[in-house]
Amino acid sequence: MISVQHLTKGFDDLRRGWVAALDHVSFEVRPGEIFGLLGPNGAGKTTCLRILSTVLRPSSGTATVSGFDVVTHPTEVRKRIGFMSNNTGIYDRMTAWEMAEYYGRLYGLSEDVLKLRLEQLFDTLQMNDFRDTLGAKMSTGMKQKASIARAIVHDPPVIIFDEPTCGLDVLVARKVLAIVQSLKDQGKCIIFSTHIMREVEKLCDRIAIIHKGTILAMGTLPELQEQYHQPDTEELFFDLIERHDEQCRTTQSEFRLANS
Amino acid sequence: MNWQNVKLIFLREVRDQLRDRRTLFMIAVLPLLLYPAMGIGMLQMTLLFTEQPRTVVILGEKHLPPPQLLDGDKFVSNWFLNPTDTDKLKVITDTSVELGGGGLNASRNLRLIEQARALRERVDQHTSLSTELKQAEVQQREHLMNPAASFDESLAALQVRMGRLKARQAVIDHELMELFASSQIQVLIVIPDGLKENIERVNRLIVERDNSQVEGFTYPRPTIVKNRADDKSVVAYARVREVLDAWEDEILRQRLSAAELPEELTRPVGSAPLDLAAEEQISANVWSKMFPALLVIMAVTGAFYPAVDVAAGEKERGTMETLLICPATRTEIVLGKFFTVMGFSMSTALLNLLSIGTTGQYMLSVAGGAGKGALAQAGAVTLPTAPALAWLLILLIPLSAFFSAMCLALATFARSSKEGQYYLTPLLMVSIGLTVFCLSPAVEIYPVHQASWFYSVMPVVNIALLLKALLLNPGNTGALIFAGPVLATSIGYSLLALWWAIEQFSSEGVLFRDGERFEPALWFKHLLRDKEPTPNFTEAGFCFVLIMLAQFVSMKALGQSIASVSADQMGTQMLKLMVIQQLAIIACPALFMALILTTSVRQTLRLYLPDWKFLAVAAVLPFLLHPLSLELMASLSWFFPQLPEGAVRLLKTMGEGEQPFWLLLIAFAAAPAICEELAFRGFVLTGFCRNGRTRLAIALSALTFGVMHMIPQQVFNATLLGIVLGLIALRSNSLLPGVLFHFLFNSLAILRERASVQLANGHAEEFQHSIWSSFAILEAGGLRYTWLTLVISGVAASACLWWVWQAGRVKAKSETVEGLFPSGLVPVKEQHPTCVS
Repeated sequence: MISVQHLTKGFDDLRRGWVAALDHVSFEVRPGEIFGLLGPNGAGKTTCLRILSTVLRPSSGTATVSGFDVVTHPTEVRKRIGFMSNNTGIYDRMTAWEMAEYYGRLYGLSEDVLKLRLEQLFDTLQMNDFRDTLGAKMSTGMKQKASIARAIVHDPPVIIFDEPTCGLDVLVARKVLAIVQSLKDQGKCIIFSTHIMREVEKLCDRIAIIHKGTILAMGTLPELQEQYHQPDTEELFFDLIERHDEQCRTTQSEFRLANS
Repeated sequence: MNWQNVKLIFLREVRDQLRDRRTLFMIAVLPLLLYPAMGIGMLQMTLLFTEQPRTVVILGEKHLPPPQLLDGDKFVSNWFLNPTDTDKLKVITDTSVELGGGGLNASRNLRLIEQARALRERVDQHTSLSTELKQAEVQQREHLMNPAASFDESLAALQVRMGRLKARQAVIDHELMELFASSQIQVLIVIPDGLKENIERVNRLIVERDNSQVEGFTYPRPTIVKNRADDKSVVAYARVREVLDAWEDEILRQRLSAAELPEELTRPVGSAPLDLAAEEQISANVWSKMFPALLVIMAVTGAFYPAVDVAAGEKERGTMETLLICPATRTEIVLGKFFTVMGFSMSTALLNLLSIGTTGQYMLSVAGGAGKGALAQAGAVTLPTAPALAWLLILLIPLSAFFSAMCLALATFARSSKEGQYYLTPLLMVSIGLTVFCLSPAVEIYPVHQASWFYSVMPVVNIALLLKALLLNPGNTGALIFAGPVLATSIGYSLLALWWAIEQFSSEGVLFRDGERFEPALWFKHLLRDKEPTPNFTEAGFCFVLIMLAQFVSMKALGQSIASVSADQMGTQMLKLMVIQQLAIIACPALFMALILTTSVRQTLRLYLPDWKFLAVAAVLPFLLHPLSLELMASLSWFFPQLPEGAVRLLKTMGEGEQPFWLLLIAFAAAPAICEELAFRGFVLTGFCRNGRTRLAIALSALTFGVMHMIPQQVFNATLLGIVLGLIALRSNSLLPGVLFHFLFNSLAILRERASVQLANGHAEEFQHSIWSSFAILEAGGLRYTWLTLVISGVAASACLWWVWQAGRVKAKSETVEGLFPSGLVPVKEQHPTCVS
């Protein structure tokens, strides 16, 4: 469903000069699977997912969603993914219903299908008590639900969640995770990015640990635990990142030595 | 393009805007409440406001001749055109104060009279000094005319005395001014003693027909003291003047009748004005002045706030990415937003105009009903006619479209609403500046004396001027001719602006501008540290701005240094300055920036040896393009405004034999060829090419090259040449063919001027019979090329240009990025190839 090959994206940064936010990242995600993208803040998770959602263009490398290339067929890709992140807010001056309806129409759903789909969504997400509330008046939990409704209104085969539980209280976060799980059970292909270990353990079939734009390790959780001889996920994560940073430092000092 | 998406986005944005209190306030509350409220306020002000009477002091009232001028503390109302005006002047005379008049104000009046007397003293001194000075001047003239005669005073002594008199007069004038300013008197009239008797005496002499006596009889005249720098004094003086003129006419009439002379004596010509303006034309005039300016300002303000909200506001509220991941393309999103902004711009403009129009008309009719002078006349103002309003609607569409697209592009660039307002304020200021320009009565779309279509292609100005003409007279055929070009160019500008907005919306850098704090030092460090072989787009743009700024700053210095030399050296001086200007203002910024901001000056300025074929083409093309460009400019001369005086002078220098030919070649051909190529085909073009869009880069570099030439004719010509030069530079990847082309092209222009002048001086006959006459003919304006030449050069030039175009394409294919990196992997650093297509 999703295939990412040697994806690279660079930015021109005022402080550091040219920075690679993503450096030859490759992975694949299959239908009915939740793929966890685990990494600290600034690891390149959001950049990677933004490229998949066609909002950013890669500097090099390819990415395809359902067989469509994100660079050459962005519209086809956008039709087939549901995307939700911290940066996809909801409109203050629209109600939850209007928002989902609007996106449904943009995705080209016919009015009858849309009506049914909306009723069903609002039921399953338990959103009926605030369907006519303006975005500005909603609580964070309501907003998150409205956002999910917006993302999956067209019943996409691929769904991308970029830190969906960020800033939520435990109750709401639990509900969100339940929704993700139920979507997986429907056979969707899901990418789930987070920096919270517990969520990964609970949800993800396979994970990739990403740091400073490169994937440090990839596989199912048991595979990784075995490979690195570390039964604790959290410790595994820290080990990998520290080892990588250590490596970077040595390369840099070697580089400096070689130059001097 | 899916119009369904555009419609969906449009409808959502409109609903969104209508749910926003700020927008509603701008488009509905403001026009519907503000103007009527302002109207009520103004009416209240006029009711409360009564003009304070101004103080006029008359000294020597008892010497006033009949008929009666004063009635108590006022002028007799008969002397005013409008008798009620008499209340606006309060007259205090020395006689009335001496008699103890003035009632409650007696002490104030007394003080005023004292001030007036102090003033009079100075006035008398001033008068006597003037008389003395005049006598002295007469003596001086006699001295100079007749030096041999003996005088009672030497010339030197006379001059010393005159100097002293002038100094004293200056002291007295200064005292007068200070006294008058500190007094509460607006106008002081000093009636000299015996004026009544003197006038009566002249009357008697005229009755007796004793003309010689009248001729020689002089007597002191009244003086009226006023201060032109003080508005109150100016107004009071105008009224006093009106009274005194009417009064003097009456004295004259009485004098004539006493002498049994006809009144006709005073009016030998007696011309009378005939005003043809009909009532509705007066209103049309009012509207044609007011509406275009209002329309422009309202269209831009109407676009301003919605644009900021739909573009920058979307980023600020964090919904931009939500929108970008929907299936609608960027173009569809921008179009949806654009139509929203345009709708609000148009409705704001129309609602405001409607409200101002009806409020204004209502107020004028209320004020007019009261029957007060000028206001009563304006009360007849009616709303514009239906055809005029139809034109207003038609022209509003491109105007709003242009502003909406501009605002949208600028607002997209902003990170927040606040930032958006900062970016849009300059647009608002420029629009207001343009409308003020259009308000000037001298600026018309349809100039009578100078045939020029230039205004009809200037953005915004063209619409405002056309509307001005059409509101005055909707059937104005002279102006209607311009409707086509105005509409066509305005739509063109709107499309360009819209394209720019879409570009902005498609740019990652613009959409995801990070909120990093701007630190000049850090930015500068980054600029120097992360240098790349060639400049980027922004640096190229900045180079152009720098050149323009340098040109602007140097203008004054150049003008001064030309003015400082004598007339016969002016030509040489001008040529020398041109060379210096080229080097300092055009070549230096480009070289300097290339050295500092790039790692490869060679690559930036294209300092490579080209393929010899390009050199050959560059050597031939100027000869082919020169006749074409000349005839094109000649046939378009009706379009442009007249050349400024300085440019005409420069052109003359080219033809005149006074300057050595080599100096002309250096100044007009060699210096521009090298300097302008370095800057515009070197730094600027390379920078513009960086994002790989070569056609856009050529167009932009040509446009900047054109704009640098300032004068409209040259801007047009240079832009066309810039396209050719840009193409050659890109395809050959060398500066050399461009320099050669530029040098030859400019040299040909000088040669033609020279040849024209020389042929005209005696060789015309010879030339007409030579074989050359089938290629060119000699006219009053110089050599003109025949159709034969034009066809030949046209065909050959097209072939050459086609070859250049093709040559590059073949080359480009083998050198694309994919070609260099067959695996499809391009290293990050190389993602901006330097102009390879």
